[in-house]
Amino acid sequence: MMIGGGMSRWHARGSAVFRGLIVGGVVVGTMLLAVPSGLVRAQAPVPDAGEMALAEEEAFRAAVTAVAPAVVRVEPGTATAALNTRTEAAPSTGPSTGLVLTADGSIATTSFAVPADVTEAVVVFPDGSRGVGRVVGRDDARGIVLLQVAALPAGVVPPAAWVPRTELAVGQWTIAVGRGWDATAPSVAVGILSALHRSWGRSVQTDAAVSPSNYGGPLVDIRGRVIGILAPLPADTAGMNAGTELYDSGIGFAVPLEDILRVLPRLQAGETLKPGIIGIGYRSRDPVNASPVVAVCRAGSPAARVGMRAGDRIVSANGRPVARVADIRHVVAPLYAGDTVTLGLERPAGDQSPRALTVTVELAATLPPWRRPVVGIVPVRAGAAEAAAAPAGDAGGVTVGWVWPAGPAARVGVLPGDVVVSALVAEADGVGDAQAIDSAAALGGAIGSVEPGRRVRLTVRRNGQLRDFDVETAVAPAEIPADVPVGDADPAAVRVMRLEAAELAEPVLAIVPDGGTQDPLGVLVWFDQPRGAVDGEAALRTWRLAAARHRVAVLVPGSSDPQRWGREDIATVARGLDALRARRALDPGRIAVAGSGAGGAFAWLAAERLGPGVRGVALVDAVIPRQATIESAEPGRSRAVLFGGTVPDPTLREADRQRLSSAGYPVGTLPVTEGAGPPVEVLCTWVEALGVL
Amino acid sequence: MTSHSRRAPRHAAWLAVLLLSAALPARAATPGETIAGAARSVVKIYGAGGVSGLEAYQTGVLVNPTGHVVTVLSTVLDSDIIDCVLDDGRRFAGRLIGADPRREVAVLALEGEELPALPLAADHPRLAPGTRVLALSNLFGVAVGDERVSAQHGVVAAVVPLDARRGAYEAPYRGAVYILDCTTNNPGSPGGALIDWRGRLVGLLGKELRANASGVWLNYALPVDEVAKAYDDIIAGRATAPAAVSTERFDPAALGVILLPDLLDKTPPFIETVRTGSPAAAAGLRADDLLVAVNGRAVPSRMAVQQALGALAVGDPVRVSVVRDGAIVDCDLGPRPAAAGAP
Repeated sequence: MMIGGGMSRWHARGSAVFRGLIVGGVVVGTMLLAVPSGLVRAQAPVPDAGEMALAEEEAFRAAVTAVAPAVVRVEPGTATAALNTRTEAAPSTGPSTGLVLTADGSIATTSFAVPADVTEAVVVFPDGSRGVGRVVGRDDARGIVLLQVAALPAGVVPPAAWVPRTELAVGQWTIAVGRGWDATAPSVAVGILSALHRSWGRSVQTDAAVSPSNYGGPLVDIRGRVIGILAPLPADTAGMNAGTELYDSGIGFAVPLEDILRVLPRLQAGETLKPGIIGIGYRSRDPVNASPVVAVCRAGSPAARVGMRAGDRIVSANGRPVARVADIRHVVAPLYAGDTVTLGLERPAGDQSPRALTVTVELAATLPPWRRPVVGIVPVRAGAAEAAAAPAGDAGGVTVGWVWPAGPAARVGVLPGDVVVSALVAEADGVGDAQAIDSAAALGGAIGSVEPGRRVRLTVRRNGQLRDFDVETAVAPAEIPADVPVGDADPAAVRVMRLEAAELAEPVLAIVPDGGTQDPLGVLVWFDQPRGAVDGEAALRTWRLAAARHRVAVLVPGSSDPQRWGREDIATVARGLDALRARRALDPGRIAVAGSGAGGAFAWLAAERLGPGVRGVALVDAVIPRQATIESAEPGRSRAVLFGGTVPDPTLREADRQRLSSAGYPVGTLPVTEGAGPPVEVLCTWVEALGVL
Repeated sequence: MTSHSRRAPRHAAWLAVLLLSAALPARAATPGETIAGAARSVVKIYGAGGVSGLEAYQTGVLVNPTGHVVTVLSTVLDSDIIDCVLDDGRRFAGRLIGADPRREVAVLALEGEELPALPLAADHPRLAPGTRVLALSNLFGVAVGDERVSAQHGVVAAVVPLDARRGAYEAPYRGAVYILDCTTNNPGSPGGALIDWRGRLVGLLGKELRANASGVWLNYALPVDEVAKAYDDIIAGRATAPAAVSTERFDPAALGVILLPDLLDKTPPFIETVRTGSPAAAAGLRADDLLVAVNGRAVPSRMAVQQALGALAVGDPVRVSVVRDGAIVDCDLGPRPAAAGAP
């Protein structure tokens, strides 16, 4: 732990508290203090419980008195607080507290009092005078904000002493001090230290009452030495108010002052410290128990820059052995973007024992939006069940159904019918291990882990011979290619299927081509203008030909309210999809949602709710609803978006395109003929094209 | 509101602590003894309610041996039958003999003699923040029959004026309360006894309310001196309806300050323009100044400015604090004029 020389003067062991007690004449209080054992009079009588309680009370007050000159009130922000909706459970505004850190006017408070877009806050000093605190730095990993006031009034001074982490012990007295209730008299809440290591190492926990009124104030020990700064710090969620719902619950957090002092010079220099990101995803979503095996390594991420890749098992982090994902979090969460972490890796090496590697990763604040890389191979359709049961050995691999016209794979000579058996993603040093390909998902994962523009070596079986192709990856296209092969299926072998489920009042209608379980179907959910129940025969006439040609099941849900689409209709579609999946094999890579007019806007919401399984959304005569948020694309959360038709205000649609594009989504145009009804042929072609890898 | 009135009780409390320390008895009671002694006077009260989120039970404290119980005024007491159960299981019919609607204190009479009472100390000094206290109440109705009420421990966190509500209901009492660091805003807790570690009644647990400033649920108690005043007023028939909470608003335009229009729920009180020749102009206020305080009271919104000015008497000096170029500037606007017509 490196601690700056300027801080050692704080480390004065609270002698002022001792003097305060003696001056106060309450001698019993001193018996409770952690006096070196040699100084305790051996013959001192053991105090009874009642005396003990009153003596402790004296000590609490002396502790508060010791730190009080460093505690100020922070008035609620005006502009921003007003815009936040106060919820029942989580307060979002209110008078709060700050802690003076330096004699020249640095004051720490929390992002509760000073949210991200606020640049100054009014500080009230113990004498009632006010000052303006200018935001100079932020620690976004801990929710701490550093304010600077022009000058401190006489008597307002930094704390006399603070407690290093190593001296903290669970069970010791802790006192939470604030001025949110009353600027002129510090508030007091008493408890014990509940835990030393919380919020993945960023905080300690107390059962003293912590609430908006004392966020930003100090948590002190019984000698008035500062343990940390009270903050609404949740373990696993982000956002300005996260953690406030725990106010006064007996679960309170404080960021150790030691950790804040370590970065104080950076905060004073105007930095905003961000949580650090490695840029990997793990194979399991269980953050605590899962084995730390990399499933995804984001292109352009710190991990990708040092050559980490899918399959790597992390065995150590900064010298600490790692057995679970949680072990890595404990090391990384306290760090900031720009910090480095050294990871020990084991990389599978075929039949040989795994290769040991060590990489040093510089953590990033953000990742570039993920743009799905592809090589332009469209595999023959495979259902989820087949993928799982793919035969191993010579018979394994993924068969190329067609190649994207003039795409990277076509340019190097990959042909329909070729079977991709392995993929080699070269490391930065040009060497790497080939990964066996046994499913479209595995091929997609291998291609998806490289940056667009870098090469991947595909080993292909053709006529019993193995051939290598070095293919440059490209960003996934959004447009629909011209020459998508179509089958010669019989339009007569398409029927209306009534998808029933126990929870559904009305079955969902689907237009489904006949076929067996060996013939996985693409899926298109079509939301028309809301009009209540759907006429199945009319829908069959509309969709039959395109559904047959492109092997697509088209769900045509009705709206439960004839006037509008509603949230319950999404649940209906989800159950309808489950019912369809129970009866027919579906291709998980070719599920799309589309709609027209009100149904178009609703299609976007439905896709969000149906989750990452939806690979494409098409909006005809519609824009994305204003209430929708667009999160950056990530592996497993990216979808192609097409816009078609016309909207009253084209600038809204242009804004949608830009938002989506900057968030990493492929955005394209859906050719629509006005007044011709749903663009059935082009939509079903698109569903087929969504399977591109 | 002045710093003087805030500090006086603190000094008094410190003095009291020092005096008490000097007069410390040879042996203080154990917490168990203290709680057992005080809890004999704490009464479980069962009355009306039980529908739409309103509890049908609360707590009260016997304050004299002839059966007067103080409790909070609430819908629980809107009943012909108010059951009062002592910790020895004795059951009495409580009769509502009066209430102080401002402090929201009610007095019930039980037909009994030589009942265990906690004296109401009208001259008890205010407790200082940090004082250890115990809260005795029938929270959540978990104590039944002859079971003693529940005890919680904590300290007085702060001593501040009450500014609270529950939904549309605004608490009429605006005087000082003890904010507690233990959770007492539970069903059944209102009317419970707040005692010190010597077993003396120091407050009455308040209702389930939220702070206006932040929306947090409040854990608070009415100080015993206020409870005693309420009791005396009720017994003497003096208790009166609360003075309406001052809702007068005063538009600063009368002083020459034109604020930004109120487009949001709580528009920040930025000054849009200052009328030439007005008191505001004379005091040096300028457009784009952000008002942060009126006579020391924080004004986070345009409405708060109007309320703060409205709370002043005609003729009171008006001093505002504004933020200008990253610094606080104080400006004296002279006496508050009478309301200048409709705002």
